[in-house]
Amino acid sequence: MSAPVEHRLSRRDFITTLSVPLLAVGCGQPFDPQRFHVPSSSTVGVFPAGSYEADFADLIFRGLGELGIRLAGRRVFLKPNMVEYELGTAINTHPQVVAGAAIACQRAGASEVVVGEGPGHRRDIEYLLSSTGLADQLREQRIKFVDLNHDDVAIVPLQSWFTGLRELALPVTLLESDFVISMPKLKTHHWAGMTCSMKNLFGTVPGAVYGWPKNPLHIHGIPNSILDLTATIRPHLAIVDGVTAMEGDGPIMGRPRKLGFVAMGSDLVAVDATCARVIGLDPEKIEYLKQAARFLGVIDAERIEHRGELPARYATRFDVVPALESLRLPR
Amino acid sequence: MVEKIYCEVCTPSIHLQITMSTNGQIGARESFEARTDYSRICSLLRTALLATRNKDGGWGYAPARRSRIEPTCWVALALGHSAGQPPDVQSLRSWQRQDDWLLDVPGTPPNAAFNALAALTFLQAPSAAALAQPVVNRLIQASGRRFGQNDAVRQDNSIQAWSWVDGTASWVEPTAWCLLALKKIRSRLRSREADERIQAGEQFLFDRVCYDGGWNYGNKEVYGRKLWPYVPTTALALLAMRDHRDHSVVARSLEQLQKDVASERSVVALALTIICLRAYGVETYALEQTVIGLWTLGDRDNLLSTAMMLYALADANRQVAFTV
Repeated sequence: MSAPVEHRLSRRDFITTLSVPLLAVGCGQPFDPQRFHVPSSSTVGVFPAGSYEADFADLIFRGLGELGIRLAGRRVFLKPNMVEYELGTAINTHPQVVAGAAIACQRAGASEVVVGEGPGHRRDIEYLLSSTGLADQLREQRIKFVDLNHDDVAIVPLQSWFTGLRELALPVTLLESDFVISMPKLKTHHWAGMTCSMKNLFGTVPGAVYGWPKNPLHIHGIPNSILDLTATIRPHLAIVDGVTAMEGDGPIMGRPRKLGFVAMGSDLVAVDATCARVIGLDPEKIEYLKQAARFLGVIDAERIEHRGELPARYATRFDVVPALESLRLPR
Repeated sequence: MVEKIYCEVCTPSIHLQITMSTNGQIGARESFEARTDYSRICSLLRTALLATRNKDGGWGYAPARRSRIEPTCWVALALGHSAGQPPDVQSLRSWQRQDDWLLDVPGTPPNAAFNALAALTFLQAPSAAALAQPVVNRLIQASGRRFGQNDAVRQDNSIQAWSWVDGTASWVEPTAWCLLALKKIRSRLRSREADERIQAGEQFLFDRVCYDGGWNYGNKEVYGRKLWPYVPTTALALLAMRDHRDHSVVARSLEQLQKDVASERSVVALALTIICLRAYGVETYALEQTVIGLWTLGDRDNLLSTAMMLYALADANRQVAFTV
């Protein structure tokens, strides 16, 4: 993204920005269809990575090439998922994948690469960075890390209004970058069904403004908040850590489950829908994906082209909490 | 256990040896100074903090970032405390609105926890102590949202303690901060409402304590699985409950904190624990060595952790801001 939206708009534009949502909401539409375009098809890359010993810089660099992503001269912002640390679990995007992505972006000509996260659970970022090993990886590669919970913020008008909110404070480091990459860990989520590249955006909401665990987002509905954040931030790419994912009572208390791939794509909805099918969930039944298909991206399997491996190669059925049984794909 | 010198840090005013033992424990010692004399490191921390003060008189979470309530309070308390002076609260005054809440980012909701911290900071400055009262009055009126009972979490959802921001659930951290502020000012207020809110806050902390003691962020279990306590939340809750130090929940949590902090690797967590344990009269020498080592090796642009460490290391006899 370039500068914060409020800074880019002229006064006339700003009045228009305010009135369009009112009109749209008045028509019962929580987004303005003229501002969004759902492509006729999207591309998702699924690249094998059997373990965290893989060369992720090479894998992701090749993935960028296969997907036609150009990063030369761009300020890239990587948003991994860091929530909590427990030895032997699969809660966070693995530091090897984050470091690999950072190197791949540099290799692709990015003018700057910054990693940032605002954990929604653990406020203590120093603990998370050191215990996960990400601090060492970033120090070694001389990559800057920004704690999004405590970054400066700008008030940004939301681009959809599923939550009923008009605006949110978001971190300036995220807003000032011009290429945002969501880098989630693929996990089940006991409230939302699944957490992947779209739900990962909860970590961009500053805790020092809204508190922990970003509770206003829960109050306004997790699916609604996922949609408004994705519509507003509009990340340019998703790189999913599906090497070892999490099943069961995710996103923190679940069990690690080896899958062996990294998924990439510039349509986050298509990437998340593909990952949902891989773990045996029906994207049509995951509320935020179903709504996202109306204006943000593609979830129909027939309209998603693949690079690398076919996702069917990895298809399985994740354990889920009883409340999520209804989200499963039919056998 | 063998302790090796890992690296040395030399500045014109300090000479630190950072050590690492065979079990990975990081420590630090000043190579030519009595070990418990932290005057040199405190002087270094003071210099670092003073150099990062913004033109408006406040501090951001990092150098060259906008001034915010939380780091400004901690830095003001730490600088004042380490110099034996009241905190400079001038910049805090500028955030006080007509409705008495302090707000550092216009267009966002007031944060109860940081307002409580601001009230505690005002109370340390005799000339500004009166400013604390309207803030505390707002805190008395504020409460976390009431929720119905939920099978996923066995806890009493009817207790309304404090949330971070209006309209959301009660959590341990804002509740602890607000309890601290209310307890510090209770004798001046003599208000039944204040007493009732204190009672609700304590009831909340008793209800949410983890099974082995200590506090997670808000729940003690989810879907029948026990949650574990965290060091910073437990230290903070214990500070707020110091006036119940003989209660079994408090005693058990104090024990749990001392166990958990041994593997802690964060300056913020260690600094809060030192402040907490000192309030309970527990020896903190080893933790002081560890926190110096971690800060030296860590992110020194983190002004919040730098200020908390300065407050923790400076003269224990004057650490009264968070003692109830």
